[in-house]
Amino acid sequence: MISQFFVLSLRGDNIVFRDYRGDVPKGSAEIFFRKVKFWQGEEGEEAPPVFKVDGVNYLHVKVGGLLFVATTRVNISPALILELLQRIARVTKDYLGILNEDSLRKNFVLVYELLDEMIDFGYPQTTSTEALKSFVFNEPVVIDAARLPNLGPAALFIQGTKRVPGTSVTKSVVANEPGGRKREEVFVDIIEKISVTFNASGYILTSEIDGTIQMKSYLSGNPEIRVALNEDLSIGRSDFGGGFGGVGMVILDDCNFHESVRLDDFETEHYLTLVPPDGEFPVMNYRMTQEFKPPFKVFPVIEEAGPFKGEVVLKVRADFPANVTANTVALRLPLPKTTSRVSFELEAGATGQSTDFKETNKTIEWSLRKIVGGSEHTLRAKLTLTQERNVNIRKEAGPVSMSFTIPMFNASKLAVRYLQVVKKSKSYNPYRWVRYVTHSNSYVIRV
Amino acid sequence: MSGHDSKYFTTTKKGEIHELKEELNSQYKDKKKDAVKKVIAAMTVGKDVSMLFTDVVNCMQTENLELKKLVYLYLINYAKSHPDLAILAVNTFVKDSQDPNPLIRALAVRTMGCIRVDKITEYLCDPLQRCLKDEDPYVRKTAAICVAKLHDINAELVEDRGFLEALKDMISDSNPMVVANAVAALAEIQEGSSKVIFEITNHTLFKLLAALNECTEWGQVFILDALSKYKAKDARDAENIVERVTPRLQHANCAVVLSAVKVILQQMELITSVDVVRNLCKKMAPPLVTLLSAEPEIQYVALRNINLIVQRRPSILAHEIKVFFCKYNDPIYVKMEKLEIMIKLASDRNIDQVLLEFKEYATEVDVDFVRKAVRAIGRCAIKLDRAAERCINVLLELIKIKVNYVVQEAIIVIKDIFRRYPNMYESIIATLCESLDTLDEPEAKASMIWIIGEYAERIDNADELLESFLESFPEEPAQVQLQLLTAAVKLFLKKPTEGPQQMIQVVLNNATQETDNPDLRDRAYVYWRLLSTDPEAAKDVVLAEKPTISDDSNMLDQSLLDDLLANIATLASVYHKPPDAFVSRTRPTQPRDDEEEFAEQDSGSGDTSAPVPDGAQVHGGYPGAGPSGPLPPPGGYGAPRGPSPPTGPPPAPAAAPAPAPAPPPPAPVPDLLGDLMGLDNALVPAGPVTPSAPAGPPLPVLLPAPAGQGLQISGQLMRRDGQVFYSLRFDNNTQMPLDGFMIQFNKNTFGLASAGPLQVPILQPGTSANTLLPMVLFQNVAPGPPNSILQVAVKNNQQPVWYFNDKIHLQALFVEDGQMERSTFLETWKSLPDSHEVSKDLPNAIVTNSEATLERLLKSNLFFIARRVLKDTNQEVLYLSGKVAPNVPFLVELTFLVGYPSVKCAVKTPSPEMAPLFFEAMESLLR
Repeated sequence: MISQFFVLSLRGDNIVFRDYRGDVPKGSAEIFFRKVKFWQGEEGEEAPPVFKVDGVNYLHVKVGGLLFVATTRVNISPALILELLQRIARVTKDYLGILNEDSLRKNFVLVYELLDEMIDFGYPQTTSTEALKSFVFNEPVVIDAARLPNLGPAALFIQGTKRVPGTSVTKSVVANEPGGRKREEVFVDIIEKISVTFNASGYILTSEIDGTIQMKSYLSGNPEIRVALNEDLSIGRSDFGGGFGGVGMVILDDCNFHESVRLDDFETEHYLTLVPPDGEFPVMNYRMTQEFKPPFKVFPVIEEAGPFKGEVVLKVRADFPANVTANTVALRLPLPKTTSRVSFELEAGATGQSTDFKETNKTIEWSLRKIVGGSEHTLRAKLTLTQERNVNIRKEAGPVSMSFTIPMFNASKLAVRYLQVVKKSKSYNPYRWVRYVTHSNSYVIRV
Repeated sequence: MSGHDSKYFTTTKKGEIHELKEELNSQYKDKKKDAVKKVIAAMTVGKDVSMLFTDVVNCMQTENLELKKLVYLYLINYAKSHPDLAILAVNTFVKDSQDPNPLIRALAVRTMGCIRVDKITEYLCDPLQRCLKDEDPYVRKTAAICVAKLHDINAELVEDRGFLEALKDMISDSNPMVVANAVAALAEIQEGSSKVIFEITNHTLFKLLAALNECTEWGQVFILDALSKYKAKDARDAENIVERVTPRLQHANCAVVLSAVKVILQQMELITSVDVVRNLCKKMAPPLVTLLSAEPEIQYVALRNINLIVQRRPSILAHEIKVFFCKYNDPIYVKMEKLEIMIKLASDRNIDQVLLEFKEYATEVDVDFVRKAVRAIGRCAIKLDRAAERCINVLLELIKIKVNYVVQEAIIVIKDIFRRYPNMYESIIATLCESLDTLDEPEAKASMIWIIGEYAERIDNADELLESFLESFPEEPAQVQLQLLTAAVKLFLKKPTEGPQQMIQVVLNNATQETDNPDLRDRAYVYWRLLSTDPEAAKDVVLAEKPTISDDSNMLDQSLLDDLLANIATLASVYHKPPDAFVSRTRPTQPRDDEEEFAEQDSGSGDTSAPVPDGAQVHGGYPGAGPSGPLPPPGGYGAPRGPSPPTGPPPAPAAAPAPAPAPPPPAPVPDLLGDLMGLDNALVPAGPVTPSAPAGPPLPVLLPAPAGQGLQISGQLMRRDGQVFYSLRFDNNTQMPLDGFMIQFNKNTFGLASAGPLQVPILQPGTSANTLLPMVLFQNVAPGPPNSILQVAVKNNQQPVWYFNDKIHLQALFVEDGQMERSTFLETWKSLPDSHEVSKDLPNAIVTNSEATLERLLKSNLFFIARRVLKDTNQEVLYLSGKVAPNVPFLVELTFLVGYPSVKCAVKTPSPEMAPLFFEAMESLLR
């Protein structure tokens, strides 16, 4: 089982440190940090999450700009430790509202108290925020969220959901509001990460959606909640290529559920019943490889324009309804290594767009603050090369990768039909928020 | 709640401690609490606040749980350094363990278990006994873990007090959390014990399966891991378990999924029905793929496991190759693993798709990844003969882009492809030759040269090409030189014209005269002789047909794979090494056989001895390089060598003259036997009998008569007059006289070797002889962590060589000048860091009379320093010093009750790795 747990800042400062077994020397945090920082002797190489030094095994995850690390000497389940580290981060965030160096330092007594309940002698015990509430007595000092830049999942919703108060997802589940009583509300977020690879002719090579239905409940008294999903939902790809699915059906390859979810009516009625524990947790994770319409089409053209010259045209088209707007869109295109200079030409009247040529890795970056559904944008760039090319310029450039966030849109068409809080009394009418967001995972267009 | 905790970090004034002391003793609760928080804050940033121990402990008696927890936190931290003060807290602990509030009861037991002070341990037993039977499950589950804590401190106590039985009863507890913790505790205790403590029976199996559905995700992992050790009786039993475990595959926690996969894979081995197995494979695929949607860290673990699973059951994921395609934003460690699996899943059906992917990857930015992608193409070519041509075409396309490292990597794999498919693709050599002058990496150069040599007859200007490499011959790395040598010989044998003849002269001259690399020189001489005596034989040797190489992507050896599959969802499955290759136990949880312990330590620290390459292969390692590398012609060079010594490199030249105190100089070394035995030290022929045959207790038998074909050898290291001797006895139970005895020692931790000849007379049948062999130290020191193994070889004129192992007893090595002044002792003790202090309970040691014991220890050169008696326990404490040559002092503290067995021995030394040897010696001296 685990011998030590510690949290380090990205500079290597020790923020939290707990020894459970005394069988690993004290300098482990420094040993770990040096190893991670100079993996394979080089700065910038990314260390794998599991490695060993002198008989001590080090496992770590990166969360919110912090390193959560565990050490052990035994042949333990690494997945258990990595999950545990993620969970510790999540519980801490539930309690503190925001997870960063500052909030950890300001609440170190609470953090140690939490750790003592979550891990005993290196064995994970209780990591549910709800269950922990009965054993943990310190109250969090919530740091002022307004001063901080919005990070993490909270940032996804800024655009699409103006009605939601900005701090709602960064508030602690245990701390009381300044005004006294807590606001009764529950958030259900459908978060999808999509990966698409297009080949050079624009056909889809692979496509995949990783989705999560995430819930964060601030409801008092733990009422039962019912989440109803699409009626035409089916799970498990048929071996006949999904041909019997019918048009418009949502077919998931696989899914799994939080332990609080009761699935009695899932097969027939497609709804999930649960008594949500406090804190943020995934109600359901799902994966889908069924064909879907990618939100963006990109048409890259790369041509030679003389022995030392090249021309790039990037056209991007938003294939989603006009009432939806994507934000923080960026396209990147690696150019031939011999490129020395690039001059850009944006379309007339373009606003909120910027371009950049990164010398170090010879990549052009095109950022668009937002793209409205149905619209089309074009970037032209002229390249100057230092050498004559050996081969077709296209072979030395590409692929285009794209990142974006689209609030209030999900590609899978999985939907929450309704969100029902089983009423305690007639007057009880908590706020219920259902939000959708799609972001890019690996969105690649080959040239 | 008053402001931010971080304010507690800010005080740095001089009177800080004094101020805190006052606040701690304040009558106001809030002030007290704040003060304790300040103390803890100071503690967590590494300040020493131990002087506040009494004041903090005084705050312990409170009903305020928040404050209590803080004090406990402090106690855990400082109890070890202040054991005498920690005892003050015992009463409160015992009282708290009977508090009406279950949280306080659990907290008391949890904290007491974390305080690793012997005195507290004694008091822990009664509260623990009560809490194991507590009405509240929260207390019971805490108590279950506490048994594991206690076992770690004092295993015997756990057995004596019947806690193991209590734990086993807890498997039937009504609360699943309690069951899970009991299982975890039992599994840990079992891990450190050779006895069977925790075995799953039919009855427990049923209980575990029932608890599985109810308990927390972590509990599920504990139970699943325990289940994976259960051997099902038959196929039906196995199917039953699998049926109950399968729903766990739907769990959102990846650890649960992986542990469930482990149980299912294990039980599947027993299931005979093909349909059931096929069905299970189908059920496991989607959850395994879903693991790849988790955080990258978990993906990495999943991929390392999947790598093993597809080697055994490729069918599970045969149709899922697309999910292993790399995403551009995958971390590099994930990409590398995906590549491995793509190669494993590549088949004639999907190879076109896979090649398209590899080709894309080969143009990415990360150099290591690009190299691996290029190698992957080559490995697919070797694996799938029908796709080889397509793979080669992709490689040629990549070469044309002229990115230097891509070209070099491609040439390396093409060399392997040529080995796999001789005489099929030579038409591409011309293209390869275009890149000749850009090669700057040794492996790529060596590969290219191998290709030129191998196909010299078909390359018109082969001599010119080789010539171009020859200019820089002296500067090239050995790898390239060796290939140049062989290629030049091949060229000459194939085209025995003037040009190659001159070249071979130059190369042979260079390789024999201008180098100090013995491999190169030897190989050159062998070629030279072959060419000068019998060129036809040279042809047969150098141009012989090479054995074909095969696909190396399933590179794990079957038995290792079996071992690793049994360890799915553990660190072993991530490192791809068996657990005993990296798990080392440092704490003496169980008194165990020393040899076993050392064996473990050996493999733990010496990664080189592990059967598979280190985890480094994650980054660009090429596991197949061995069999498929450019091989020298089979049987080409090098006379067969004698068997190598069991440890370490080939023998060093004859032993150096022995250091003072000078025994008679060693006799001349008989060469032949030295080589034959392959051992390190001088062999010493038998001389006349010495009269100094020792009397005394019988010596331990090292080579029993049956094993020695009637010759029995007994012996022991001993010390006499400041010198180490090997006291030996030979019994001849054979039917013939034996003579010509010689002895030799392998490298060992202390470099023990014979300092004079072994003097044994002709042994007539039925007689015996005793002898004392003078020994010297530090002749041939074995590298690596210290161990007590002494490997000995003895030979006579009539019998084969006998090898046996003896133990080095440290007591024979304590030197006469190990005495220390009291003040020196104290200074040395303080100057050594705590990490150099090791302690161990010696359960079989006993002191009945301190004076007699001290006398006995003095005879072994352990010198008395001081003595004191602990008032509260009547225990006696002795301080001693000793020294092992060349200059390793041991500062010793023995704690014991006169007349009672078990002595606690603490030792502080600059070489703490020697402590186990020391304990062993001490235990035998105090027996």
